Amino acid sequence: MTPGWWLLIAGAGLVAGILGAFNSPRLWLAATLTGAGAAFAAAVEMLAGGMTWDWRPAFVIGGEALHLQLDGLSAFFLILLAVLGGAGTLYSSGYWSDKAHPDSAPPGRAWWNGLLLNMGFVLVCANGLHFLIAWEIFTVCAYFLITRERQRPAARAAGWLYLASSHVAMMFLFAFFALLAARTGSWELGPLRDHAGLAPLFWLALIGFGLKAGIFPLHIWLPSAHANAPSHVSAMLSGMALKMGIYGLMRFTGWLPTPHLAGWVVAALGVVSAVLGVAFALGQHDLKRLLAYHSVENIGIILIGLGFAMIAVAHGHAAWGQLALAGALLHVWNHGLFKALLFLGAGSVLHATGTREMSRLGGLWRAMPWTASLFALGATAIAGLPPLNGFVSEWLVYLGLFDAVSAHGSAGIAAILAAVSLGVTGALALACFVKVCGVVFLGLPRRELAEHVHECGWRMRLPMLALGAACVAIGLAPILFWPALAMAAAAWDPALAVALPSAPLVTLGAFHLALAAVVILAAAFLWRRVRHNGVGRAGTWDCGYAAPTPRMQYTAGSFAGIITGWFAWILRPQRHAHLPGDIFPAHADFAEHTPETVLEDVVEPAGSLVLRFSAAVRRLQHGRVQSYIFYLLLGLAALALIAVMGGAK
Amino acid sequence: MTAAGDILLRLAAWLLLAPLLPGVINKVKAWVAGRRGPPVLQLYYDLAKLWRKGVVLSTAVSPAHVLGPAVAWVALTGAALLLPVGQAGAAFSFRGDALVFVYLLAFARFSIALAALDTGSAFEGMGVAREVSYAVLAEAAIIAALLTLCVQSGSVSLATMLAPSAGAGAALLAAGLFGVLLAENCRVPFDDPNTHLELTMVHEVMVLDHSGPPLAAILHGASLKLLIFAVLLAEAVLPLGKLALLPAIGALVASVLAVAVVTGLVESLLARLAFRRVPLLLTTSFLLCLFALLVAWKGGVP
Repeated sequence: MTPGWWLLIAGAGLVAGILGAFNSPRLWLAATLTGAGAAFAAAVEMLAGGMTWDWRPAFVIGGEALHLQLDGLSAFFLILLAVLGGAGTLYSSGYWSDKAHPDSAPPGRAWWNGLLLNMGFVLVCANGLHFLIAWEIFTVCAYFLITRERQRPAARAAGWLYLASSHVAMMFLFAFFALLAARTGSWELGPLRDHAGLAPLFWLALIGFGLKAGIFPLHIWLPSAHANAPSHVSAMLSGMALKMGIYGLMRFTGWLPTPHLAGWVVAALGVVSAVLGVAFALGQHDLKRLLAYHSVENIGIILIGLGFAMIAVAHGHAAWGQLALAGALLHVWNHGLFKALLFLGAGSVLHATGTREMSRLGGLWRAMPWTASLFALGATAIAGLPPLNGFVSEWLVYLGLFDAVSAHGSAGIAAILAAVSLGVTGALALACFVKVCGVVFLGLPRRELAEHVHECGWRMRLPMLALGAACVAIGLAPILFWPALAMAAAAWDPALAVALPSAPLVTLGAFHLALAAVVILAAAFLWRRVRHNGVGRAGTWDCGYAAPTPRMQYTAGSFAGIITGWFAWILRPQRHAHLPGDIFPAHADFAEHTPETVLEDVVEPAGSLVLRFSAAVRRLQHGRVQSYIFYLLLGLAALALIAVMGGAK
Repeated sequence: MTAAGDILLRLAAWLLLAPLLPGVINKVKAWVAGRRGPPVLQLYYDLAKLWRKGVVLSTAVSPAHVLGPAVAWVALTGAALLLPVGQAGAAFSFRGDALVFVYLLAFARFSIALAALDTGSAFEGMGVAREVSYAVLAEAAIIAALLTLCVQSGSVSLATMLAPSAGAGAALLAAGLFGVLLAENCRVPFDDPNTHLELTMVHEVMVLDHSGPPLAAILHGASLKLLIFAVLLAEAVLPLGKLALLPAIGALVASVLAVAVVTGLVESLLARLAFRRVPLLLTTSFLLCLFALLVAWKGGVP
């Protein structure tokens, strides 16, 4: 079958899922999974065959003829959408069941399918108008998914912030596509690299798509939306919806000419997002908010790769640009996979314990061994450690940066900064995930947890297992995925179609395989040795303290204290402390909170300034007819004055 | 010699020689203090004894407490095998292995840190927090040092990068890498391996609750890490790849011993720093590596 037929099945499955969402959850599950499977098949078919699928039926929507196209880049993103869509669908059937959420689950299923359908449509459509329509619909679908629990004020506020900032982005995209259509005379999208006059439009696309992707400082909507959405929705938002912004940036930096500075700006934004994203993540106490900030970090890593690829294209297609681009592309997949895994794991924790507050958790590995192991796997992957997938993509970006440095050009200095920042980001991410795994899953429960703390069911466990397996597969055999990367890179810039250096990936994969095998052997060996020597049990060493309690464990905040101290200039952590004072101290408490610096210190003051100005202007409208007549007279006088002055000339 | 035999030989050399280094350092410290000190081979005796001993596990721990040291030990061994020895090259050498080296060290840190947090002790929490925080600066310094070597040699493979000398910036690079060596291996002035107060420890407090074979794996891994950093420092500075194999090995052994002696002297003559000063010293190491990079950049051939 051609990709077209698969896509037809995918669309039909998702639409059938919407119809079945309200009355028949089983039909919805089967149809949506079929749809995701068919979309996966379409993308694989395209990437394996290498032929761009192009379809121009005679339908007209909104006055424009439909034009669908599946090329290497869109197929690359479509695979991720299909995998995350399938995983999230199965997960939500266990996580957001009709029994627990009788009112919100059925419409949630419909919005979910609408989200998948329209993101898929954005990926395959090649008409600016249809792109905008589908973009708007998926944005709105996501809003209704984020506000599933709208009885909570926090969820409503998060949804509103998301909706507002998405529509600010939408304004920029309207301007971008409208100007593009005006200058080319058609809404058709396609390669237009020779139209040098289109280059300035890049800045509009950068803001429009950047807001969706969550680039620092445009990330303001991201933490609260990800924290308050149901976890399968957070996984889809972080894994795929942010990537739609990256898709937009990659699509149009590939198709349109870019200004001279574009690559430098993208790389600089990438460095800022990577370092500050992880710094803010360290300051969080809410598990899902922390994961959301890690999305900012990983989007930054993707942008570093993309930015240096753009710089390389401007420098005559230097080979290091190809490596950087390959790293950015692979990181799109990797981040989608491990971040979805982590959000689903966080969802299982939330489902079992009812809290996202890390300071209340601890020792969950006993009750939830599967979730704990899979979360630890995801944490190893996101910290960029070998032998998992996160390291492979970061390694490709590093190789590009190191090659740029040894090429000794003007890009070299920037590459030095980027490489050091990437190293710092990696070490900070490691610190952050040591903190998360340690505080949530290891040690002892910090509060008395409810009786019903339980491991998640198979419908929630299976998607996590699948995502974890994908992380391991990309880590151990990266070369298998290279053809897809090469195809996507070629769709971005045809000059990159040849001579992508894939050889080191074979060796890296072999090294990873050997490492994984030896790790398992050594662990088994040490385990046997410990059993052989005999195991005694005792309490944790506490310096001989007589009455230890689990509340004495190190908290998330104190763990991150050293690093958040270094970043206090931007994190501005707020501390409220009543320290023990008198000879007989009675009461003491300490609370710490990391505010949303950009939102609270920049956007909200600017917004209130606008509101104050508007309020001042509103004073002109007060309902006194005499004053309105006076305005009319003033206006007439002004017009007369202009007419007289004009006549005099 | 077959490839497998070559790997086994290197592996044996790394694993067997590593515990010697802490012995040398302790001997130097004892000599400066006018004591006789423990035998040079003390760590070997300790490891043999620990390997035979039973294990006492905290009631709080998960299997990660035992598996973490094994994973860390494998990661450190893997990193050691990526380092070349003179002209003989490395056991595993490929484009980009320098970054695998850095991230294997990070992987080891990750596993040990999780194994430590597993006990739920506030002491361990403090140690882990310090370890992973200071490692951020150390990692920046190592990346800068690797960039220096990359600019010098035009390669991203350790075997080629470490073959020539570090050129004009060698002294800066040596000072920077030595600082990283002291910090990453928990030596004075960053940490005191002999301290007896849990509140002031970094690395020692992370392994308070380990015992028996897992503790042996941790101690052996730590000595391996010290040897790795000493070899990296020696090879980054000296042009060992330009010498014939035997002189290169001789020079390597001599310089590693020299690093151990200097470490012992530093420990004897300096007091450890207050924790708030540790980041400053590590930043200095990073800046030294960065200056070495600038020297290489200015002097490098385009």
